[in-house]
Amino acid sequence: MSQKIKTVKRYGERFQDKLYLPAIYDGVKVTFKHLFDNVTDMNAVDTLEYPEEQPKDISERYRGLHRLTHREDGSEACVACFMCATACPSNCIFIEAEEREDGVDEKRPKSFFIDTLECVFCGYCVEACPCDAIRMDTGIFSLTGNSREDFVMGKEQLLSHKGAFGEENSRART
Amino acid sequence: MMVQVIVDGKNYEAEEGSLLIDLLIKEQIKVPYFCYHEALGADGNCRMCMVEIAGQKRPQIACDTLVKPDMEVSSKSEKIEKVHTDILELELINHPVDCPTCDQAGECSLQDFYMDYGLHESKVRIEEKVKHDKHVDLGANVMLDQERCVLCARCTRFTDKITHTHELGIIGRGDEAKVSTMPGRKLHNPYAMNLVDICPVGALTSKDFRFKQRVWFLETANSVCHGCAKGCNIYIDHHKIKYEDDMIYRFRPRRNDAVNGFFICDAGRLSYKLLQNNRQTMIRHKDEIISEEKSIALYQSLLKQYKNSITVVIDANLYNEEIEALVDYAQRIGAEVCAPLECYDDTEFADTMLKSAKRAANYEKVVKMGLDRTMPKTSGLIINFNHTETFYAEMQIDFSTHQRPNASFILPIAAYSEQSGSLTNEDGLVQMCEKAVHKNSPSPTLREWLQKVGL
Repeated sequence: MSQKIKTVKRYGERFQDKLYLPAIYDGVKVTFKHLFDNVTDMNAVDTLEYPEEQPKDISERYRGLHRLTHREDGSEACVACFMCATACPSNCIFIEAEEREDGVDEKRPKSFFIDTLECVFCGYCVEACPCDAIRMDTGIFSLTGNSREDFVMGKEQLLSHKGAFGEENSRART
Repeated sequence: MMVQVIVDGKNYEAEEGSLLIDLLIKEQIKVPYFCYHEALGADGNCRMCMVEIAGQKRPQIACDTLVKPDMEVSSKSEKIEKVHTDILELELINHPVDCPTCDQAGECSLQDFYMDYGLHESKVRIEEKVKHDKHVDLGANVMLDQERCVLCARCTRFTDKITHTHELGIIGRGDEAKVSTMPGRKLHNPYAMNLVDICPVGALTSKDFRFKQRVWFLETANSVCHGCAKGCNIYIDHHKIKYEDDMIYRFRPRRNDAVNGFFICDAGRLSYKLLQNNRQTMIRHKDEIISEEKSIALYQSLLKQYKNSITVVIDANLYNEEIEALVDYAQRIGAEVCAPLECYDDTEFADTMLKSAKRAANYEKVVKMGLDRTMPKTSGLIINFNHTETFYAEMQIDFSTHQRPNASFILPIAAYSEQSGSLTNEDGLVQMCEKAVHKNSPSPTLREWLQKVGL
């Protein structure tokens, strides 16, 4: 078998490369350009004075805190099929299923917990859900709490989170 | 007479006149089927098991084709694949596709075959599908969903051929055909929950297991039912939820043609509840929880105190190895041995199928070893190894898997699902049980206790 050899051009062999001064000049030029821009126009600064100033560029695809969606009739869309819990790589979704008696569907979650401290916000649960019942479109990116228990989100709390992009209910058939 | 059969170009041997599908199943040649079941025989209504046979114009169903000498069968060709796909599409016409809420998901023939042969887009929209009752309580812990049914008639054949109780039938024709009981009647036989295993789809599900756990989370261990001396082979399906303890969710029958065939009785199937509820977990002496060291010291001082009037009581549900170790132990401490069996005789429980009147798993072992089968006679110390009867003595030490409200000195031991061992069934067959459950804080096994108390 013949080996393919690619000869890589080596940089830094020339006299002006070994001098380093032209490269330093190039770098400092960028720094001074930004300094000049920032001093002349304060609004063009790329940093954010968080938390007084909140980010405005969170898109629909941003994976924020989870929420459970509703059906048209206002009840939860989740049927406790455990697909999210199966797909979850950090095993942080805890579901207990029960019989749903109101005739809308057969099954519902009796309890639904997400331990957001264990969650890696990968979005696999959203991908896996066959009922569009779990979403991460709340736009909530910051979570605070006083104890570990505060970060374990229950069913009621997840249902109370609002979608940040206008779509409130589940888009699934049922 | 054994004859040669060629399947997909390979030579196999089969009994002349036997069913072709039996050969395919035995040789693990992939063939899809709903209605055929080795215990129920051929019915030929689902049409899934089509194969091509040389010399025949059209594909034939393998479940109703008898093996003939020099038969040439092909189970995989483009034509057969197309036939499987088309028949599966017909089966799925009115299927509600509610796998998210269906307990069968994960062990469903429809799901498996769809992945193998289907993968088609349904031509019927969900709204156009024929609606039936999705929530029928058939009684005896069996729930029926008529929409998911593929009308394979395995259930009706089970009640006709196996239990001979004839509760189920298929009523209506065409789209309206559905499985049902007679109006106002329910399933009433002690083997009804086998219908849940027999049903190839999610039409019949267990009310007991309903929505408890998804099946793909369950781990399975081979074991033997402890409900009676028959020794039916079972699978123990258990799962440990994160941060919680290992739990048994269900027992399923395990095929063993020498003992139970394909089935187990409902009493045995539900016995997992008795097994894991009301377990003894602490060492208790007179309403006080004591440490292991303290309990061993107390145990030894009691042995000394009652030196010449000790009786060891052995429960006939313990494993062979445990019973042998206990008999040996009793000899060393100079104690009498007895294994009362009378309380395990229950003629009302027995029937002609699988249920035995001897309601202890290792009844036969006790008989074979020639142990004293009467109640203990001593008035001194009784060391009870998991027997559930009440005894009368000055002092009693209980090694127990389950709670005993009146016990004065009780030491917890591991139940049969938490250790491995063998059992002798009523026909003298010795069968192994695997360790299934791994508790977070396991109780010592009987053999571990015997080492601790100084053998």
